[in-house]
Parts: sequence; C-alpha cells; structure tokens
Amino acid sequence: MSNLLRRIEIPIILTIVFTLVQVIPYYVYIQPLDDAASYIQRWILILVSLSTFVGVISILQVHGKNVSKRSKGWYFSVIVLVFTVVMALVGLPLAEVGLGDKNLVYLFLFNYMLQPLSGTMYAIIAFFIASAAFRAFRARNIEASIVLVAGLLMVMSNAPLFTVFWPPFKTIGTWIFAVPNMATNRAITIGAALGLIALAVRTLMGIERGYLRGGGAEQ
Amino acid sequence: MDTSEEEELSSKMAFLEKFMDMDRRWVYLLSWIFVLAPLLYPLGLPIPINQEAIKWYDTIDKIPNGSVVIFAPMYGTSGMPELFPMTVATMRHLWSKDIKVIVVTFWTEGPLVFRTLLTQVDPTSYGKVYGKDWINLGYVPGSETAMSSFGRDIPGTVSSDFIEGKPTTSFPIMANIKTATDIDLIISIETGTPGATEWLRQWQAPFGVPMIVGCIGVSVPGMAPFLQSGQISALLPGLTSSAEYELLLKKPGLAVAGVDAVSMSHLMVVALVILGNIAYFATRGSKGGKK
Repeated sequence: MSNLLRRIEIPIILTIVFTLVQVIPYYVYIQPLDDAASYIQRWILILVSLSTFVGVISILQVHGKNVSKRSKGWYFSVIVLVFTVVMALVGLPLAEVGLGDKNLVYLFLFNYMLQPLSGTMYAIIAFFIASAAFRAFRARNIEASIVLVAGLLMVMSNAPLFTVFWPPFKTIGTWIFAVPNMATNRAITIGAALGLIALAVRTLMGIERGYLRGGGAEQ
Repeated sequence: MDTSEEEELSSKMAFLEKFMDMDRRWVYLLSWIFVLAPLLYPLGLPIPINQEAIKWYDTIDKIPNGSVVIFAPMYGTSGMPELFPMTVATMRHLWSKDIKVIVVTFWTEGPLVFRTLLTQVDPTSYGKVYGKDWINLGYVPGSETAMSSFGRDIPGTVSSDFIEGKPTTSFPIMANIKTATDIDLIISIETGTPGATEWLRQWQAPFGVPMIVGCIGVSVPGMAPFLQSGQISALLPGLTSSAEYELLLKKPGLAVAGVDAVSMSHLMVVALVILGNIAYFATRGSKGGKK
C-alpha cells in the first residue's frame, strides 16, 4: 500500500484533476463543476490561512537557531524574535481582554515602528535610483543614448516643475508611455502568457515534473 | 598651447573626472537635501492637472447613485508614502456620493492601512452608516485563488466582517451581493501582486466588472497594455497624479504637500545626468579620459 501511495502518477493525476476543475468553469458554465471549483478554492483558502502559522514557526526556528549558535548578526535575530512574539500576542483578535488591532502596544508598534520603517525602506530606493541614474545614464553609444533621452523625458514628464515650464514634456512622456512602452510591455505579456500556456499543457500531460520530488526523476 | 594653459586644462579635466567618479554618498546627501528642503519649506510650485487625474475623477464622479463599488487597498505599510494620499482622496470622493462601498483586501497589511485611513476620515461626517452604506470585509488570505473565490461567492468566501465580526449576510449592504456580477466597479490601489492583473483575470475578464487602478510609479509601464485595451478604465499613477486628483476634489492633502519634493528630486536627477554627460564628453578625448 505504501509503495502504491509513493507512485509518481498519483500527484500527477491529482494535479491534472484539480487543474481541470479550476480551468473548465473559467470558460464553460457547468453548475456542478462550478460548485466543485468554488468548494476546492475554499480548501485552498484554509490551507493558506494555516500556512501563516508554518511561517511563524519557520521564523522562530531559523532565528532561534541563529541566537542559540551566536551566529553572525545574532542580535538582529533577537529583535525579530521579540517583535514577532509581541506583535502576534498583542494582535490576537481578543478584544474582550484588550488585545487586537485596538491594543495600545499593537497600535504603537504599527504606527511608530512598522509604518515609518517600511516607508523608509521603500524610500531608500530613491537614493539608489538617483545614484544609479547619475552613473548609468551616459551616452556611450546609440542604444545608451536612446535610453538616456527617453529616461530623462519620462522623468521630466512626471514632475510638475518641468511640465509647467514646458507642457509638451507631458505630451512626449504620454507618447513614450502609450506607444513604445505599451508595445514592449504587450510583447512581454503575450510572450509570458504563451510560455505559461505551454508550461500548463506540459504539466497537464505529465511531461513537466519540475514541481515533483525536486525535479521529478522517474521512480 | 603653453605650459600654464596645459596645466589649467589638465586641472579642469581632473575636476570633471572627479565629478564623474563622485562618491555615491554625495549623491545620497544631495537627494536628501532636495527631498527634505521642499517638505520643510514648501515652494508652492503650480501643479498642472493632467488627463490621468481627470479620467480618474470623472470615472468616480459618474458612478450612478446606488451602485456598489469594491474598494481594495492592495498594499502594505511600505506603499503608504506614495499610495495613501490617493487612498484617502478616493474614499473621500466615494463617501461624498450615494454609492455603496465594500472594502476588501488581499494583502495582509491592507486592513491596517484602511484603519489608518479611518483615523483621518470619518465616514459619519459624510452621513455614511456602517453596514448600510459601507462595509469592511478585511483581509482575505489566498491571493489570486481568494480573489477568484470571492468573485464566485462573496458572502461564502468572507463569512464575517472585519470591524464588528458579525455575519456578512446580516448587513443591509450585503443583501443583494452574491457574486462579482453584483458589483459595478473595482477600485484597486496597489503596489504589486496580487493586484491589477489578478483582478483582470478573476473579475474583469470572466465577469466583465469595470476596474480602475491606482498604483506606484514603477508599476505604471506594465499597466499600459491593459489601459490601451480598455480593460482598465482609468489609471492614477503615483504621487503627482494623486496631487492633481486632490486639487480636482478641492481637498489638498498629503499628495499636494509632497509634490514639491517630487519636482525637486526629479530636477536633481536631471541636472546630475546632464552634468555627468557633459563631463563624460569633455573628458572622453582627453589624455586618460573616460572612454
């Protein structure tokens, strides 16, 4: 029995069945199939919700190990552990005992730590972009010159300072966005979609087994 | 050329080369100054209103009375500096009209973002009653699968609301809301995945629900094909467009306050790039110049 359960055909059949149950109702309305698809989707939601706990356990294990072994930067792991536990505890949806998203500690951590720190991390990109633009935007050849000119025009079309000074900056920026950018993005989107279809067909036919047993070697 | 001229030229070249190899920390310092100064001392630069903001404003303004709109803050705290102003402005606009609003998010921090909004905008000041005119369904885990499930069966996927924890079906606003076909417009304000493409796949394409998208600047190029095809009815890109939208609403807020910083930081980048290229061309042919 255990050998039977280990057979590679079982996950492949499960993949094919569950994929078809999701894909067919997208194109054809068949009531029982539609109901089955909805029902299975709720299983997935439950599984995803449970996986949150796996994430927390994983964080505790990885950073707990760092602390116990005094690995490089272990003190950062202490911060992660402390705040993971504190945030999880004070954020528990138990309003009757003062916990949840109205808890003062929770609000303090969210408003005065998470929010400014996250915003800062994102904003730091601006510094890298400024430095990278200064170094990389050099008209070294024709291709680099095209990128340089297009990039500068886009930057200027997005800043009121320039568009007030010379309104056609906005027109030029809109054209770059709506014509060359759109054409390129459309090509990438369609190309990626075709690749995904090919991958899906290969998976449904059992040819693509990369998602099984770390590469799907024949057993 | 005599020796003194040669020395002068050589020192100029050395300066230009030094400028081209400027330590990146000087660029960081300049960026910091150019962003911070206009925030501390606003310049009050004029903000021209462009088509994106006008289209966004018109789309919301022309929603017929009694329509039901999904409002989805699809971002976390890191996206707040750029997206929160348009989130606030859009909710002000929606609450100023006779529209039912269902707030839902597929991002874990989405409910916290919306809760921050509620500390700044009071729906009761617009005469809106929770459960009747608007409802917050909170975060639905499961990304695109959850969005698909939500479209097929809204009360079945989210059985209770986020604020009061009561059954979704017990609220008057949800009385006739069963599937995506009962929704008139999706407003997604987002930083990435899940976001517009997932709404398109799971809501716009199968159910034909119109949608408009507010996004961060870096996401804008990827939206172009969907905007051109009409799958996205309006796009509000980044902080500058948010400022324009605030001006259209006649409620200047966070975006208007920040747009001077956008202008000045862009000016700095343009100036640095132009100066960098001048230095590059000036030193290219010189002895030891950059090739």
